[in-house]
Amino acid sequence: MSNKVFKFMFLMVLAGTTAFMSGCKSKNPNTGLYGSDAGLYGDPLLGDVPLEGDSGDWPADGDRSLFDAVYFAYDSSQVNPEEAGKCEAVAKHLNKGKGQGVIVEGHTDERGSHDYNLALGERRALAVRDYLISLGVDPSVIQTKSYGEEMPDSAGHDEGAWRLNRRSVFAIY
Amino acid sequence: MNRLLLLTGACLLVLTASGQRVIDIGKKGEGKIGINLSSFKTGSDSASHTFISVLKADLNRSGYFSVTSSGGGINVVGSCTSGGSQLRADCQVYKSASRQRLLGKSYSAPASSVRSLAHKAADEILYAVTGKKGMASAKLALVYKKGRGSELVVCDIDGHNKRQITKDRSIVVGPGWSPDRKNVVYTSYKGGYPNVYLTGRAKPLSSHAGLNASGAISPDGKSLALIMSRDGNPELYLKSLRTGLLKRLTETRRGDEGSPCWSPDGNHIAYVSNTSGRAQIYIISKKGGTPMRLTTSGSESFSPDWGMNGYIAFSSRIGGRYRIAMINPATKNLKLVETDYADYEDPSWAPDGRHIVCSRTSQYRSSIYLLDTLKDSHVALISGSGDWVSPACSP
Repeated sequence: MSNKVFKFMFLMVLAGTTAFMSGCKSKNPNTGLYGSDAGLYGDPLLGDVPLEGDSGDWPADGDRSLFDAVYFAYDSSQVNPEEAGKCEAVAKHLNKGKGQGVIVEGHTDERGSHDYNLALGERRALAVRDYLISLGVDPSVIQTKSYGEEMPDSAGHDEGAWRLNRRSVFAIY
Repeated sequence: MNRLLLLTGACLLVLTASGQRVIDIGKKGEGKIGINLSSFKTGSDSASHTFISVLKADLNRSGYFSVTSSGGGINVVGSCTSGGSQLRADCQVYKSASRQRLLGKSYSAPASSVRSLAHKAADEILYAVTGKKGMASAKLALVYKKGRGSELVVCDIDGHNKRQITKDRSIVVGPGWSPDRKNVVYTSYKGGYPNVYLTGRAKPLSSHAGLNASGAISPDGKSLALIMSRDGNPELYLKSLRTGLLKRLTETRRGDEGSPCWSPDGNHIAYVSNTSGRAQIYIISKKGGTPMRLTTSGSESFSPDWGMNGYIAFSSRIGGRYRIAMINPATKNLKLVETDYADYEDPSWAPDGRHIVCSRTSQYRSSIYLLDTLKDSHVALISGSGDWVSPACSP
């Protein structure tokens, strides 16, 4: 089976899984609570692809200089269309076999609690991961790491700084 | 709100020196119980001087007392002496008018732990006079940030006796206490990724791939509530601390969860979720099921802490600034704590059920404050030389 055909089938299986899972959602008891919010918030394109193993097994650092960061709206983890090209460049790189894998590092601005921002940063990293998976990157070579608001890119305290800090960074290993 | 009214009303009916007047501590500044320690004898050594000054500061900070050198409804007599490395304090507490003795106690400890001895005496005096649990012996776990890293620090609730617990030159987030007050659970990046650790234990409590954060140990000490992303999205999980068995409590593909805290009875967990479009506080049974949305006011709400008094304290962004609020989960009655223009975040109940420790950010600098929910003045506890955030008060 050629690589291309395999990738196509892989995507079809993923798409099928997603369709199956969204079908199940209507039976979920939480639907009443969350259903009305559909589409409002960062919807990972595929979603819920598990992260395997123990974090100690994975490389903890990589080269951040190769690709540009993906930026997000406030309290959102949606990959905006104008940012998607950056993910596509990374997918291309990895799909060509350049680099073993990537750590997607999720960051937030300083608003909101330190604790909650860890979850938000992780969701930003996962949204990018999901997009990379949809572009054919093997899920097992994409790790996520949320830094929350702990590692700002800009030290400022206004919207200009916050915009730069709401980001996902690619560390290629 | 009923319980709070009860607190301000019933429990604070105290007879003063005149034996007649009713004191209402609920009113700002007024009606504190005058407590006179001028007959308390101290030796000339520094330890016994420390004892009396810490004791006085604790009594004033409790919110119930006003230390005075003349008059006062309550009289504390006794002595404090240190013989070599040992400190001994005798404390007798009387109602001034009736001469009724409320407490008679002797304390002894190494002179090096004079501050904790004074805190213990302050709590016992408060209990003897008002029947209320004090906070003087409580400890704080908090995060100290300087430069790019942050470390875990533990100190007394008055901000003294600081000890730096981690020296990892890494990042520490969101500390919380074990129910036995002996250890602190926290998130650290010392292993390269965000994992949940417990002090005194080298191996992480949780280190799955992805996010492991916001660990909170149940009141019975048996399970850990935490946020993990191992299944592809940040969700709330329970982990048995004995068997390691995992149970996923939320399933919110369209949102993320954070900041779990336990109800005092250990049956429920309050946490933050942005499934509604903005971060708000929800409650879920530890057995799972449908969560209940608790907060609707404010543009966003964060950092719930469920006090022994039944109230959940949290921070809410209202009118562009963060304020501390408290809510009764049964009635959803909400009360905002009066504060100034600064941002107040990350509230944690003191064990007295009256005070809240939180961070205050002004001019981009964060310090630790003690707020009085009965409207007494707020007190700065820790500030300066870097940022102090995320205080957690021991139970």
